[in-house]
Amino acid sequence: MSSKDRLGQVLGYAGLILAAAIMLFPLAYAASTSLMTRAEVSTFPPPLIPADPSLANYAELFRAVPVFRWLLNSLVVASAVTLGQMVTASLSGFAFATIRFRGKALAFALFMSTMMVPWEVTMIPNYLFFRSLKLTDSYTALTLPFLATAFGTFLLRQFFMQIPRDLEDAARIDGCSRLRFFWSIALPLARSGLITLGAYTFLSTWNQYLWPLLVTNSKQMRTVQIGVRFLMNEEGLQMHRVMAGVVFFMIPAGLMLLWGQRYLVRGLMAGAVKG
Amino acid sequence: MRLCKRFVVFLALFALLASALAGCGSGSQSGGSENSAVKKVEIQPGEKVKVTFWHAMGGHNGEVVQSLVDEFNKSQDKVQVTAVYQGTYDEALQKLKAAGPEGPSMIQVYEIGSRFMIDSGLITPMQGFVSTDKWDTKDVEPQILNYYTFNGKLYSMPFNTSTPLLYYNKTAFKEAGLDPEKPPKTLDEFHQYAKQLTKKQGADVRYGAGFAIYGWFFEQLMACQGASYTDNDNGRKAKATKSVIDSKEGETILQWWKDMIADGSAANLGRKTGDSQNAFMAGRVAMTLESTAVLGNFLSGIQNKFELGTAFLPRPSASGNGGVIIGGASLWITNLKPEKEQWAAWEFVKWLATPQTQAKWYTQTGYFPIVKGAYDQQIVKDVLAQRPMFKTAIDQLRGTKVNTVTQGAVIGVFPQARVKVEDAIENTILNKATPAEALKTAATEITKLIEDYNKTTK
Amino acid sequence: MASTVGSPVARSRPHRSLMEWLEPWLYLGPSLALLGTFVFYPLLRSIYLSTFLTDLLGRPKLFVGAQNFADALTTPKFLQSLGVTVLFVLYTVPLGILLGFILAMLANRPVRGNKFFQLIFSSPLCISVATGSMIFMMMYNPVSGLFNYMLSVVGMPKVNWLVDPRWALFSVGLVSIWLRLGFNFVLMISGLQNVPQELYEAARVDGANGWSQIRHITLPMLSPTIFFAAVVGVINAFQVFGEVDIMTSGGPAGSTSLIVYRIYQEAFQLFQFGTASAQALLLFLVIMVLTYLQFKLGERRVHYQ
Repeated sequence: MSSKDRLGQVLGYAGLILAAAIMLFPLAYAASTSLMTRAEVSTFPPPLIPADPSLANYAELFRAVPVFRWLLNSLVVASAVTLGQMVTASLSGFAFATIRFRGKALAFALFMSTMMVPWEVTMIPNYLFFRSLKLTDSYTALTLPFLATAFGTFLLRQFFMQIPRDLEDAARIDGCSRLRFFWSIALPLARSGLITLGAYTFLSTWNQYLWPLLVTNSKQMRTVQIGVRFLMNEEGLQMHRVMAGVVFFMIPAGLMLLWGQRYLVRGLMAGAVKG
Repeated sequence: MRLCKRFVVFLALFALLASALAGCGSGSQSGGSENSAVKKVEIQPGEKVKVTFWHAMGGHNGEVVQSLVDEFNKSQDKVQVTAVYQGTYDEALQKLKAAGPEGPSMIQVYEIGSRFMIDSGLITPMQGFVSTDKWDTKDVEPQILNYYTFNGKLYSMPFNTSTPLLYYNKTAFKEAGLDPEKPPKTLDEFHQYAKQLTKKQGADVRYGAGFAIYGWFFEQLMACQGASYTDNDNGRKAKATKSVIDSKEGETILQWWKDMIADGSAANLGRKTGDSQNAFMAGRVAMTLESTAVLGNFLSGIQNKFELGTAFLPRPSASGNGGVIIGGASLWITNLKPEKEQWAAWEFVKWLATPQTQAKWYTQTGYFPIVKGAYDQQIVKDVLAQRPMFKTAIDQLRGTKVNTVTQGAVIGVFPQARVKVEDAIENTILNKATPAEALKTAATEITKLIEDYNKTTK
Repeated sequence: MASTVGSPVARSRPHRSLMEWLEPWLYLGPSLALLGTFVFYPLLRSIYLSTFLTDLLGRPKLFVGAQNFADALTTPKFLQSLGVTVLFVLYTVPLGILLGFILAMLANRPVRGNKFFQLIFSSPLCISVATGSMIFMMMYNPVSGLFNYMLSVVGMPKVNWLVDPRWALFSVGLVSIWLRLGFNFVLMISGLQNVPQELYEAARVDGANGWSQIRHITLPMLSPTIFFAAVVGVINAFQVFGEVDIMTSGGPAGSTSLIVYRIYQEAFQLFQFGTASAQALLLFLVIMVLTYLQFKLGERRVHYQ
């Protein structure tokens, strides 16, 4: 290895470590704050590391608010939306990729155009819709509007399009129906696309903010994001406890990322750009 | 990519659908009626009525609310109350408006939301329950009771009352050579003290003062000068028609505020009160303005970092004839639920107003008791003996003369008006406008809001 | 499961062609029904609402025609919000993509532990707007926060992050960039991994050094990814809400009142669903024009394989 290469290697690592440190700093600071006492949080200069680390804030958090219920709500909502999108998007993506039919171009344009409709435009009528059905503050309201997306349809269409036409023809000649072809051949082949969509959908649903803020009314129906927000209050910014919530609620999403990250890296672009 | 073509197709389609729309859908209508007499609906033995209670008490105070609710639920077997924290007062009220028919059985609303609640058609006036049940209002603090009585009718039950206080860092006072037992009494003194308390060390500054850009402080400082917020005696003689905050008194406040920021003796800490509280507890600002209700929080956040002092809100001049506004929040029973549930809510409201409950509420939060009997409770006597700082707030309240100024303004758009005032304060201290200009703009905008409101509510 | 093709059961012809006609729509059905209910119908309802003034509980009361649109376009606050939003897009989208690209270049090197760094760089994907904003809000406190303390340690003047109108949008933008960096990183690195290695080898034979490799191979090959990131980034930046709601509430002096927040205030704080709908529809128009321009301009520069 030449000295120039070695220098490059060292610089490369230095860059990686520096970038990683900057990116992780806010998280580390949050974690550290969550172990401090009330008085320590409001001290100047702000301490980076708790003098006497304690899990008391977590215990306090579990006692004061229904964290596990919020966790459950978020899990139910994110899983339902993920599953729903996988079903609807694979069906419609499959149709767009493999079936020839009249009005396909128009239907596809219609689908894609929904990507451009900003959420702000549909938010108010959707809210009024659920209110008039007396369905606010329910899992239905939290999940139903997100069960179908143009993005997912588009992503999976790209994956289905990579399936060789011959394969389908061969299956047809063997007497395999389209639905069976979809179920037992196309879907398994598009597995990584499905996982990509699943991981992405799960994470973005998990992190949703405005809609759950609008439609949840009771403590029992809040998702973790809204729960965390309500830990903040006017009569005293209890950052030590808020940070305990922040850190605790990050764990499930972190695990999801740990599992789905490589699929995200492979799949997101594979589907989205080659078009 | 053929997206351009798709785009055109989409546009065409969109236009088509839009034109085909004419007169589709219509808003649902739901109105409420206000009847003074409410027929009593008894809860049958063995029956348990559920009551939802939305409140705006977060953090420690929220936990006290929860513990009271638990205690009530355990004390009897007819009513089961579920308390839900809905964020700040503003947020809770917004949530109620948004929820409409999906709202709770009862809700805590801040004093400036009273007019809106009366006009909203969403509530059953408290007077109905009081009259039918022959509940005695004699023990309720008259100043507080008056605030929520309109046209001789009690609309809501007062629950928590607070006033603003001056909190100061006694240790910093000593360091700066100031007498920690002589806090500033006037705005000018406050400014002088702030200058003396400001300490520069290199690039670092410990500020003499710092408090949130919060419209409430402006309202209070106006009242301290005996100045009204709106015409028609703060809207108490007749419906308010315009804002009168663009007055000499208003300008005095903004000029004072601006001067302190400009000479660096006060820090601009933004609109979040939490940021100011944190800065004060960290010893970064030596004086701050805050509600009486944060005293407990301050004590636990400061511990032994420095010695805390409390004093009356500084007044624009030492001999002001006004006083602080007797405000806080009250409990409203909505008409969204069946009558039986409303009566169940009333049971809870009554229980909250007992001297015993109020004594617990007061000693654990710092909000004044609404009934005089609470002061006879032993726990109150003990706390006042141990923590004389709690007494500052009572003294300030009792020293206040009751008139239309200290009762505060009654307008249906008060929450929105408060935001306009905050805009004015911000624009002044950021040097975007002079105090007079900023207040003129705010007053014009508030007047427009009042006019619109009066137009849509008859 | 009954099969449509090669089924032994004989069918009459019209029946069969009806089936054939129907089949794709059955696949599209679930998505179409949902998108229709939650995107297209609300869109139309928005248009309806936008022609009304609503009462204090948000019920449509007074038909005003196009007045709400005219009002929005002449209200300084709405125009300010549009301006602030455009500025926000310019702050966050290019910088976010650039940072994502740099991180991807760093982590794409075949060195030990690069998988670990890839995971760290995508970590913001699991941080929600609410939590991220709260962490930064704590550090942004003008007098007791960590950032200003660090500045004072190195002798620099303090910055009134969220309180100074000149800095507030930048400060909010910083949080936004950080929160979306995970997504940008993932996009960029997967783009990089799709660049055929032979191209670099060929370039090396031709004597191309690092920078000219980036310029002549990496960037052109990555252009579809960058284009995609830009389109999605702009659409996302136009929908930023949580950061503003938690950190600034649109202040100071309206300097961070991004368009979604403005519409939210109009709708759910002032309960003017009519004017809010009109503003949202105007925003829709702006986004359509911008997306169209992006495709028009972008397509010329993007290199497709």
